[in-house]
Formats: sequence, C-alpha cells, structure tokens
Amino acid sequence: MNRPPQSPLVTPAGPSACHWSRFKFPDSLIRYASWISVLVFLTYTVEYLDIPLDRLLGMFGRMGTTLSTRYYPPDIGYTLDVGYLSYVVDTIHMAFLGAIFGLIASIPLAWFGSFNMSPSRRWLYPIARLITMSCRAVHEMIWAILFVAILGFGMLPGVLALTFFCTGFAGKLFAEEIEAIDVGPVEAMRASGANQLQVMAFGVFPQVRVAFTGIAIYTWDVAFRAATVVGFFGAGGMGWYLKRNILQVETERVAAILLSIIILVLISEIASAWARAKVMKMN
Amino acid sequence: MAMPLLPDRPGGGNVLPRLAGTSRSDIVAWKDAGMAILEVRNLRARYTVSGPEILKGISFNVEADDFFAIIGPSGAGKSTLIRCINRLVEPTAGEILFFDREITKLPRRELRLLRRDIGMIFQEFNLIDRMSVMDNVLSGRLGYTGTLRSLFRLFPREDIQRALELLDRVGLIDHVDKRADALSGGQRQRVGIARALMQDPKLLLVDEPTSALDPKISREVMALIKQMANEFKVPCLCNIHDVQLAMEFCNKTIGLQDGIKMFDGPTETMNKGNLEKIYAMEVL
Repeated sequence: MNRPPQSPLVTPAGPSACHWSRFKFPDSLIRYASWISVLVFLTYTVEYLDIPLDRLLGMFGRMGTTLSTRYYPPDIGYTLDVGYLSYVVDTIHMAFLGAIFGLIASIPLAWFGSFNMSPSRRWLYPIARLITMSCRAVHEMIWAILFVAILGFGMLPGVLALTFFCTGFAGKLFAEEIEAIDVGPVEAMRASGANQLQVMAFGVFPQVRVAFTGIAIYTWDVAFRAATVVGFFGAGGMGWYLKRNILQVETERVAAILLSIIILVLISEIASAWARAKVMKMN
Repeated sequence: MAMPLLPDRPGGGNVLPRLAGTSRSDIVAWKDAGMAILEVRNLRARYTVSGPEILKGISFNVEADDFFAIIGPSGAGKSTLIRCINRLVEPTAGEILFFDREITKLPRRELRLLRRDIGMIFQEFNLIDRMSVMDNVLSGRLGYTGTLRSLFRLFPREDIQRALELLDRVGLIDHVDKRADALSGGQRQRVGIARALMQDPKLLLVDEPTSALDPKISREVMALIKQMANEFKVPCLCNIHDVQLAMEFCNKTIGLQDGIKMFDGPTETMNKGNLEKIYAMEVL
C-alpha cells in the first residue's frame, strides 16, 4: 500500500519566525483600549459626582474628633444588660435557623443548577439557576424589609430573610463545587446502571462532602453577620437596639453596640475558620 | 419489573424469552447456538451536530467466548466505540444488538437495566477515592439495589459476601477497609475489575485498562482480566493501544483508524502489513 509521505515533525523556520509579540494585533489594541477607557471613566465618575478630593484629606482629623467626643467612652454596661443579651441570643438562634433552612433548600438547587449533573439541562437547570440568582440578586437587607412589610415585626421575617440569603449564597457555591468534580466516578456509576440519585450519592457526594461542610460553616458565619443587622428593619435580633439608639442619638450606647457586633462577628469568623480548617484536614 | 418480551430473531429459529436483563444461561444458550452476543451494525457517532464524525460505520460481532482487542492510534475512536455500546456516548446512527435486542433506542429506565448487564473497566480506574475498597466494589451492585437502601449503603448480605469473594480473587482481601485512594495503581485497577464483576456482567467493556500502569503491572492486570473473563464466562471488548499486549491476550482484534475499521479477525492472522495499515506508518 502506498503510504502518504511523512511530514517532517519540525518545519524549517520561515522568515516570520523572527517576529514575535505576546499580544497580536487585534488583541493588543483591545487590551490597550480597555485600559484607557477604564481610566477615562474613573476620572469622569469623580468629576460627575463632584467629589471634593481635598475634603477627603481633612476627613480623618474630623472623624477622630467626632469619635472621641461623642462615641467615647462606649457604654459597655448597656450591652451587658439582660435585655440586650437576650437579643444577642435571639440573633444567634435566628442565624442558625436561617442558615439551616437555606442550606437545606440550596442542596437540591445546587444539584439541579449544576450544568454537568442537572437531571434536565433544558428545564431544571435554568429554573434552579434563576431561583439561586434571584436569592442572590436581592440584598439580605432588602429581603428583611420585604418580609417585615409582609409579615410584620418579629423573628419570622428575619429567619426568612436569612433563609433566602443563605439559599442564594450556598446554592451558588455548592453548584460550583459540583461543577468542578471529576466525572470519572460519575461515569462509572452510570455505567453500572445506577439511577440519578444513586449517581449523586456515590459518584458526586463523596467528592464534594468536605467542601460542602466547609461551605455550610461559612454560610452560618455569613448568616450571623447578616443577622446582626436585619433587626435594624424590625426583623428581630440586636439590630433593633442599634436602630433605637441611633434614633435617640445615644452615641455612646451605639458605640458599645457596634463594638459588641464587631467582637461577635470576629468570634464567629475565627470559630468558622478554625472549624473549616479542621474539616479540610479530614479530607 | 416485567418488560415486554422481545420479538424473535428476524431469521426465525431461536425462541428464548428475554425478560428484564439477561440471565447467565442466555450466554450458554447463545454460545451453543453459535450466535453473536453483541452485534454492532454500521455504527456512527459524532459529539456535536457539526463536529467531525468519530465513528464512520463500524460493524462487528462479539461471540460468547471472545476476548476482543480494539487497537488503533490515538483519536481513532476506540473509546467512543466502547462507550457507544453502553450508551455513555449516544450513537448517531446504526444498530447495536445485545442478545438480539436493539439497544440504541432504549428509554432511560430500560437503559439502566441494560447497563447492569455490561460491566466496564476504566483507564483511570474511576474509583470513588473517598470511599472504602468495599464500598467501591459494592457500588457495582447499585443497579440491583433499591434507591433508599443504597443511600444508606445497606447492601444485601449476599452482595457483601460476593464482594468479599471477588476481593479475595483479585488479591485485595487485606485491603477491604482501606480508602480507595490509599491503594497503588495496580491495586486500584483490581478494585475496578472486582467492581465490574460485581454486576454479574454478560459483557465486559474494558477501556485502556493498562495505560496508567507500568509494563509489569499492565501484564498482571491483563492476565487477571483475561482469567476472570474466562472464569465468569464473560466476553470482553478491550481497548488497548499496546499491540504486544493485544496479541498476547486477545483472541480477536479490530483495528480502527480514523473511525473506520481497517482490520477484523483472529489476532493470530494479524501481521505487519495489517498493523502498518491501521497505524498508517511503519510499526516495529
């Protein structure tokens, strides 16, 4: 049989081989133009908003004076009051419930909304993505305002607001995690005649279990941070105290409340980082 | 779960009832009748509508005691061909008859029942790294196990017994509770073999079982697959790029090149000329 002539593996370098630039013509122009336009827009924005840059420099001095005369010393005793502390406990419970409900809702959403594993790319995938994105698109404070308007003051609107927030937050992260799995085991499970749920349980879940645990802890942490503020709109928790004292211009109490929020959020963040590190080690 | 009886063979003759799946005795009956267990007719496949055609009309028959090698250069369509048979890849045209049953159009549920009968061994083993060896082998029974049971990993006692026996046969009885990612490459492939045999398959698809292994382990793994196939009387269809291994272990060979079958016959009839044709170059 006639074999086609074998092409040499290395073609001799032509004259074009001496000219090389990392960014070829249309790309180089686009890159250059986009950098320029970002800079132009930045200057335009500053001009448009009429931001007095010189006042920015004086800001820190004035801020120091305000803080030291009005917000110092913080009224620590106020935050150690039983009334306030019970609101802190409420906040913790609210964050926990919101995170749990949100996580429960986000797991099926993540499954349906992950492109590689969705049982139906035509229907379930876009629907699940839409729900997750809607939950994210609306800020948690807006959810709180919305549910307070519908359900009235109390813990329920707060829990619901946090649930929606956590659904969007965890749903997106879970789905990304599922989309990043190795499809080998999935293929193996499918080849053995497993159904969709079995493929998820054996092919997918073991691969994402650790990451899911980390995300769940992180979700709780973020939910707690949000929970400290939703009360501002009457959705339960310590945010209500914050609002009341701001309206009453009780600045030293406000300072103490802000301080307590910062400390609590820091504690939750440290606890969550520690727990996540532990979980990752179990990998 | 009763399934409709399938129509008899078009040419008349055999009248075996075929219920859900295929029973072990079918293989014997098919063998006695000298009929092909798997018939592939004019199979075509492409991944995207406008993409290149990967398989361009492949036909061949696999009989009860065949150990088929599919050889060919990279990109010839070997993996696609094998994946079409259990429809991990959907063929675009052609027919696949498994025990005389057309399977390219099976609905989802029946496809799952079909897949139980076809074991598969993978190049990259495709084990569940974070599960134990035992759970990996048991996962071969998923098609036979109810959803709720399997979610809690409550496999029937006889499945566990069978898994232990198979693990003993592939020499991993001391590693039952180890995590799959704690094993070496050769051991991992042995787990893959045990998992495939757990299905009680009537056909084994083997996709480059040795590419990730060194030459010595490769030979051992091939020998094990061959031995198990003989013992369990399962015909095999094995993608392999190592021509030496193919000639050593397989009784029949298909040579693919660019989606076209260039050779089909007993391995011993293959010669240098055939190989040169398949690989479109000087071999050896």
